Amino acid sequence: MSKPNDLVQGTLDLLLLKMLALEPLHGWAISLRLKSISGDVLQVSEGSLYPALHKLEQAGWITAEWKQTDNNRRAKFYSLTRLGKRQLESEAANWQRLSSAISHVIQLSEA
Amino acid sequence: MEHWWFTARLRLRSILRRTRVEQELNEELQFHLEHKIEEGIAHGLSPKEARYAALRAMGGLEQRKEEMRDMRRIHWLTDFLDDAQYAIRSLRRASGLTAFVVVTLATGIGMAAASFSMVDGLIFRPYPVPQPGGVVTLVSTSHDSSFDGFSYREYLEIRGKTKSYGGVIANAEFEAVGFSAEPGGTPRIRGGMMVSGNYFHVLGVEPRLGRGFREDEDQAPGRNAVVVLGRDFWKQEFAGDPSVLGRTIRLNGRDFTVIGVAPETFPGMQLFVHPDFYTPLAMAQVFSTNRQKDFFEDRDDRELNVSARLKPGTALKQARNELALLAKDFEREYPELNRSRGAAVHTQFEMRTRDDDANWKFIVVFAGLSLAVLLVACTNVAGLLLSRARARTREITIRLAVGAGRFRLIRLLLTESLVLACLGGLGGIAIGYGAIQFLLSFSVPSELPVTMPFQMDARVLLAGLALSVLCALLCGLAPALQSSRADLVTGLKAADVDVPGRKRLWGRSVLVVAQVSMSLMLLMASFLMARGFQHSLLEGTGFAKDHLLMVKFDPRLVQYSPAQTQQFYKLLAERVRAALGVRSAALTQNPPLGLDGFDGVAFVPDGFEMPRDRESFTSAMDTVDEGYFPTMGIPVLRGRAFLTSDTGDAPRVAVVNEQFAKHYWPGADAVGKHIRLDNSTGASVEIVGIAQTVKYRQTFERPTDFVYMPLAQHPIARMVLLLRSTADPLELVKSVKNIVRALDPNLPMLETRTYEDLYRYSAVEGPGIGIKLVGTLGAVGFLLAIAGLYALVAYNVSRRTREIGIRMALGAASSDVVRLVMGKGLVLVGMGTVIGLAMGFAVERLMNSMLFNAGGVDIVAYVVIVPSMFLVTMLAAYVPARRAARIAPTQALRYE
Repeated sequence: MSKPNDLVQGTLDLLLLKMLALEPLHGWAISLRLKSISGDVLQVSEGSLYPALHKLEQAGWITAEWKQTDNNRRAKFYSLTRLGKRQLESEAANWQRLSSAISHVIQLSEA
Repeated sequence: MEHWWFTARLRLRSILRRTRVEQELNEELQFHLEHKIEEGIAHGLSPKEARYAALRAMGGLEQRKEEMRDMRRIHWLTDFLDDAQYAIRSLRRASGLTAFVVVTLATGIGMAAASFSMVDGLIFRPYPVPQPGGVVTLVSTSHDSSFDGFSYREYLEIRGKTKSYGGVIANAEFEAVGFSAEPGGTPRIRGGMMVSGNYFHVLGVEPRLGRGFREDEDQAPGRNAVVVLGRDFWKQEFAGDPSVLGRTIRLNGRDFTVIGVAPETFPGMQLFVHPDFYTPLAMAQVFSTNRQKDFFEDRDDRELNVSARLKPGTALKQARNELALLAKDFEREYPELNRSRGAAVHTQFEMRTRDDDANWKFIVVFAGLSLAVLLVACTNVAGLLLSRARARTREITIRLAVGAGRFRLIRLLLTESLVLACLGGLGGIAIGYGAIQFLLSFSVPSELPVTMPFQMDARVLLAGLALSVLCALLCGLAPALQSSRADLVTGLKAADVDVPGRKRLWGRSVLVVAQVSMSLMLLMASFLMARGFQHSLLEGTGFAKDHLLMVKFDPRLVQYSPAQTQQFYKLLAERVRAALGVRSAALTQNPPLGLDGFDGVAFVPDGFEMPRDRESFTSAMDTVDEGYFPTMGIPVLRGRAFLTSDTGDAPRVAVVNEQFAKHYWPGADAVGKHIRLDNSTGASVEIVGIAQTVKYRQTFERPTDFVYMPLAQHPIARMVLLLRSTADPLELVKSVKNIVRALDPNLPMLETRTYEDLYRYSAVEGPGIGIKLVGTLGAVGFLLAIAGLYALVAYNVSRRTREIGIRMALGAASSDVVRLVMGKGLVLVGMGTVIGLAMGFAVERLMNSMLFNAGGVDIVAYVVIVPSMFLVTMLAAYVPARRAARIAPTQALRYE
């Protein structure tokens, strides 16, 4: 199993949803985008990407459509659904709460 | 909600368009892979290296796919579909076995489904009203009957004084009524029922058209002539015309206004009859059958069935106590009418399984037997599947060896038996449907349509499905468990190997013993029934059945007064007696073994010290005229039959049967003794004759008490004319018609037929259906058991072919081999026979107590069945044994 060990559990979903909220993308583009946005900090194995997308699709948060790419090949483009938008909002809010709480803890002076 | 709907659609897509989804999965991953390879090449790798690198980065394509499939969470289903597909393929290869198994299961499931439909129809199907569980039935109880009705007065008091119910309703018996749509038309017979004004309201039945009765329409006797039509009647007679509301129809000569039509969903509360119309109780004068009693006033005119709807939250026990107290009050206030009379509240189930009804008992016995057949079928199939599993040892061990989980394997094998059972279930439903249609095809020759409450409905289909699944488990589980336990090493080494040990054979032996015993029991049951019935037919009825024509009359249909009715019958009898071809003629309220029940009579034998808690005894009775005994050929043993001199003004007389005389005056002459009607102060009636005891209700009944009263002294409106002819009785119909027409052209002749016709239905064919049913079960069970036994022995032989070859090579004679192979079969058959005998004996007791009311053991049944069963089963063991003994040793040794 290729769990995204280096990602906090569930963050991959958030990242994917956010990315697809910006524009519809196919899998390859997503993997490139992931790499370029997060640099080497967030390493997502390419293998775990598709199961994750599949899960989001089965949950009804994203939907897929076969379309032509720029260089005229057929690819599966994912886009956010209305449900996915809601999910993204709630997960983003969660993330904000969590990270601010954690950074708050870290910033406590040791004295 | 939206979420659920969305994902369900996705799941459905991944189920229904599996290949498509898989293909897309492939394509998507391929797309990624190609880009990755291009990227690698761009970085300077060779195409081959780039491809490897890309695959590595993906972490294995197949694993990803598998993961993605898991994401769809339909694994269990796709696996199941795969298994089913595989099962169908492998079953198609073994088509002979499949066909045998499917037919076997179909027979078993079909029988069980048909009997379920009967049990359901007679016992379990709820009333066709909203919240049927809250509807209870109130009955009056006495020494002689636990299921009496209540009188109108009693009903009103129960209704007023009880607090447990949301409403108390009453209905009179379903009754033949003369109906004509136009005032002038000749009345035809239809079935109607009087109900209380709150009937539809309390039951929660909303009329389809118009309205139900209002309370005030059921208060003043004879005031509101209104009628609610039944749904079928409305469709048949009025072609579903909605303008029927407000129309006038004529019932028993009186005009009624149609105010409503009952809904589709409400065929009525009765099992066997569906009322064509409902009228208020207050119209009783138009319909009441009993002229001796006043429906509205007499507290012992107990004609009403009383039901009630329990208030929510009221316990049944509460209601019972309340009614019991009320019954005590009745007894205190009216000691002479209600002495030792109690009351009880029964649920629907209790009413349907009442003690005095034979139908449901027969059906329950039948259902038990058909379950036994199903069990035999299942054991047969289980045995076959065991053999098949053995032949597949190698396949299964290979599966295990390459890493199939045991659970997964069991699932595969169970799926196979499920496929088999579902096919069997489909066939079974077809067979069950056929059986039900067969039952429905028997029409009851009565003037009112009788509907059998059996049908193939959703409940029966569901039961069939459940039975199929149960069968799959019953016959699939053991083989699946056993074969998945296979020993890998030996299993792979030899193609055909049994795990050493007794366990496997033990299971199979149990199957055979179970089959033999079960089918023996079935055979015994059907044989006993057939013989018991045959015996009762041979015993004879005690009267002559041939050359009799019967015609029923009901002058109330044309509004005759009691005096007119009497006059009509007198003239009718006189004139038909004078007609050509008539040897003798008689009038009777009911012919013996007819379809309508006899009335009862309450009496006190004169000079008899009644027990303190009893007011009277009861007996069945018939009202006849002076021609009855000679016409029916019933001998009057002592005293005299009725005479024309026994008129309404003469002293009252009665004829009793021998059984009655022996019962009340053992060792003394009953002629000249008196009985008092109703109670010890009632009218005195002299017993003037003793008639021979005959069969009254069924040919297999025990001798029962019976009283005859003369028509002139005990007027009855609805009588049957019996004519004994010199030639074909049907030739008399014309002259009877002319005579009746001369008396009154409007009076309909009902149920004109020969008595033999009636007898054939009610005494021969009716019970014959039951015997045929059970006989079929017995035969099917027996055949299945033989097939099972044969298969087992043959299987044993084939398994031991090599061993037999060695034995014969070493010098064993073929007779030794036969003995060896048969020995085991013999033991099993012996054990099965003993157990089957015990069960058969138990069934005989049960049937005697439930159906035939005869004591004693039918020796012939045992003498015929047991040895023949033993012989046939021995033959089933002998044939394969004989074959084994004929095998040439060289061939046997080469046998794998």
